[in-house]
Amino acid sequence: MNYVKTEIKKGINLHNINTSKFKTNLFAAFLATPLTRENVTKNALLAAVLRRGTKNIKSQDLISKKLEEMYGASFDCGIEKTGDNHVIKFYLETINENFLPEKEELDKKSVEILFDIIFNPLVQNEEFNEDYVESEKKKLKQIIESKIDNKRAYSFERCIEEMFKDEPYGLYKFGYIEDLEKITPKNLYEYYQELLQKCKIDIFASGDFENKNINEIIKNNSAIKKLKERNPEYIINKEKSETKEIKEPKTIEEKMQVGQGNLVIGLSCNSKIENLKFVMSVYNAILGGGANSKLFQNVREKNSLAYTAGSTFRRQKNTIFIRCGIEINNYNKALETIKEQIEDMRSGKFTEEDIENAKKLIVSSVRGINSEQDTEITYYYGQELSDNFTSINEYIEKIERVTKDKLVEVSKDIWINTIYFLRD
Amino acid sequence: MKVIESLKIKEKEYIEKLDNGMTVIIIPKPGLEKKYVIWGTHFGSIDNRFIMPETKEEVFIPDGVAHFLEHKMFEQPDGTNSLDTLMGLGLDANAYTTNDHTAYLFECTDNFYKGLDELMDYVQHPYFTEENVEKEKGIIAQEIKMYDDEPSWRLYMNAMDCMYKENPIKIDIAGSVESISKITPDVLYKCYNTFYNPSNMAMVVCGDFNPEELLVEIKKRLLPNQKQDKIERIYPAKEGTINKKYEELEMEVSLPLFAFGIKDVEENNDKEELVKKHIAIEILLNMIIGKSSEAYKELYEEGNLLSEPDLDYEFSDEYAHVLISGQSKDPNKVKEKIESEIEKYKTKGIDEESFNRIRKKVYGDYVAEYNNVGSIARMFLADKIKDINSFDYIEKYNNVTKEYTEKVLKNVFKSENMIMSVIKSRD
Repeated sequence: MNYVKTEIKKGINLHNINTSKFKTNLFAAFLATPLTRENVTKNALLAAVLRRGTKNIKSQDLISKKLEEMYGASFDCGIEKTGDNHVIKFYLETINENFLPEKEELDKKSVEILFDIIFNPLVQNEEFNEDYVESEKKKLKQIIESKIDNKRAYSFERCIEEMFKDEPYGLYKFGYIEDLEKITPKNLYEYYQELLQKCKIDIFASGDFENKNINEIIKNNSAIKKLKERNPEYIINKEKSETKEIKEPKTIEEKMQVGQGNLVIGLSCNSKIENLKFVMSVYNAILGGGANSKLFQNVREKNSLAYTAGSTFRRQKNTIFIRCGIEINNYNKALETIKEQIEDMRSGKFTEEDIENAKKLIVSSVRGINSEQDTEITYYYGQELSDNFTSINEYIEKIERVTKDKLVEVSKDIWINTIYFLRD
Repeated sequence: MKVIESLKIKEKEYIEKLDNGMTVIIIPKPGLEKKYVIWGTHFGSIDNRFIMPETKEEVFIPDGVAHFLEHKMFEQPDGTNSLDTLMGLGLDANAYTTNDHTAYLFECTDNFYKGLDELMDYVQHPYFTEENVEKEKGIIAQEIKMYDDEPSWRLYMNAMDCMYKENPIKIDIAGSVESISKITPDVLYKCYNTFYNPSNMAMVVCGDFNPEELLVEIKKRLLPNQKQDKIERIYPAKEGTINKKYEELEMEVSLPLFAFGIKDVEENNDKEELVKKHIAIEILLNMIIGKSSEAYKELYEEGNLLSEPDLDYEFSDEYAHVLISGQSKDPNKVKEKIESEIEKYKTKGIDEESFNRIRKKVYGDYVAEYNNVGSIARMFLADKIKDINSFDYIEKYNNVTKEYTEKVLKNVFKSENMIMSVIKSRD
């Protein structure tokens, strides 16, 4: 395996992915804490404030200039929900030194800038720069408000929100406007210091570092040296699913000026069988994974009810979301057709060929993981947060071993939890 | 096969023009699991009037035919759908239509040759009937409605409307519900027979292959087909001026969207020159409103920009324009700032230090494009349709000087050719 994990300090891990498949080297650092209403807005704001400037490079345009000078190294940060964790993600991608017109040292510089942004922010009198915090608050407010702009994404987000109401996973990753007002440069800095002491930190270095000891460069970085060991608070993603009380589907209808209706259906699963996630992954591929899935064939091709019709499996939550863009008047017919497909799964109305096709689809995408640098990092990070490390080869084996009996068994424990419809 | 090597990025390109006129480009990627093949025809939404090389018949087609044809290619006489067949092999298959080309593709790790069998079979075997054409109209109508609800698409279409009076780039790629209702199997066959002749097509493959062996496999799967004469495409005369300065539309968005455009009316037929010009424009756009620019810093700090705008230069033989687009609570402020920056650089010239820095960044951006088999193959195809070799962007980089870039600034960034499209929020 080209993947090696080492512990720098308790709670802080370094993951190496050695690969010469890319023109770039990619460094990443992920800070994870449990998703809570109290902290979700602060985390989102923090990511935005940190990128504004450091003690050494005081403003964003100066950071940009430094990166441009390094053949357009690119820095990015974002915020994700991974299961019930809220993860602040920082990336720095730089051209591999082999492909520069003239030799230059870029890796060490990249590591320094990345850690400088995360761990060495611009602070005055024990608080963040006020201008930075205030302007990022305004921007975050606009980001939260812009949730409605993309109707498909909005509908998906709303279905998750309704399905996981009063649970961490139902929280919006960018937070809430009403919580934003309470944040000050001072209390955000206090929160930041607290976060740095307890969050789980994972650092990734992916690329071709030749004879350079990239691990030494990272471990000897002054910001990393200053970090204390910790018992990180984070939520381990468990193999087994949590049991949800089976109820009548919750139906939500929302109105907006749209020409097309967006239907999102959340499916829960209470099964406790071995290797459940792999069975569900195959189930999802048969139901709505691709162009030969049941949903695509029946909702789109046979009945011309939609242009988009498919489903997504959220592994960490054992949840499947069906998503269709439909003619508003066709709501009942589409819903009926979708329910028929779920029923067909229960009664085993699918062939061995459907199973094989679904497996091929999954296996092919898993085999391709190490052809994309950030995808490979995301895969190993997913394993890091779970209670059961699965290598890419084991993953493929487990998918191959899924049988029709298991699929039917699991499908009996799959039920419609929430139906969300956005219409005019 | 002809081999072109880029020493800077250590990549090779194998090119062969077959007897039937089709171009095959192979970019080997030893050791990579993913493989990607894309087969494209030089037929896009702007090609709506042409003379068929065989019959010399002049044909006008309804808006949206290239895209409709793309949808219908998958359907087979035995009732199967090639998209399903490809997915059934575990391949990630797709197709798309742009302004100037239509492409059929798949990405895979295993089963490449089985996939190639299917891909080359279905693209060479059209099957259009009254019934299957009718059925598709419902699906495409939904797709059109999906785009109609997308503010960024409407923004782009209105920007095109500002810049061009008659140019077919104004036509929605998918057409309209009304225009597609006029599509018949006969129209589809006429377009197929004209544009899907190998001499109008190119195939690009990227992955772990021996190029010579792969070429044999590709040739084996081609039907015997006569090379045809050049297709005469009829486009409206080039317009030296814009259509209108400004267009706005209200939609349900939280924050207005803007697209600031500059129509490039400069005549230019030398392809290497076009690459240089493209590089210079990217450098200029970064200097004017990129991440490290004064203008961006100011607009960001005032809260008038949330993130750096998208910077684009789109061009073909029939159109060329610069687009700067993003979201802002005050699009007019952004516009004024961009315009004053352009004026500033025109009068004061660009400084050596920023120029060299930005040029390095642009080089890095081009190199990073070579990370992914899909982006490599799509890039080589799109450039091939324009008769450009993608490696030229890496190779010509050093020839783009500060003086040259200043010349491009004066020739392209002209105030009389600037337009603005805005999507406003509903109150």
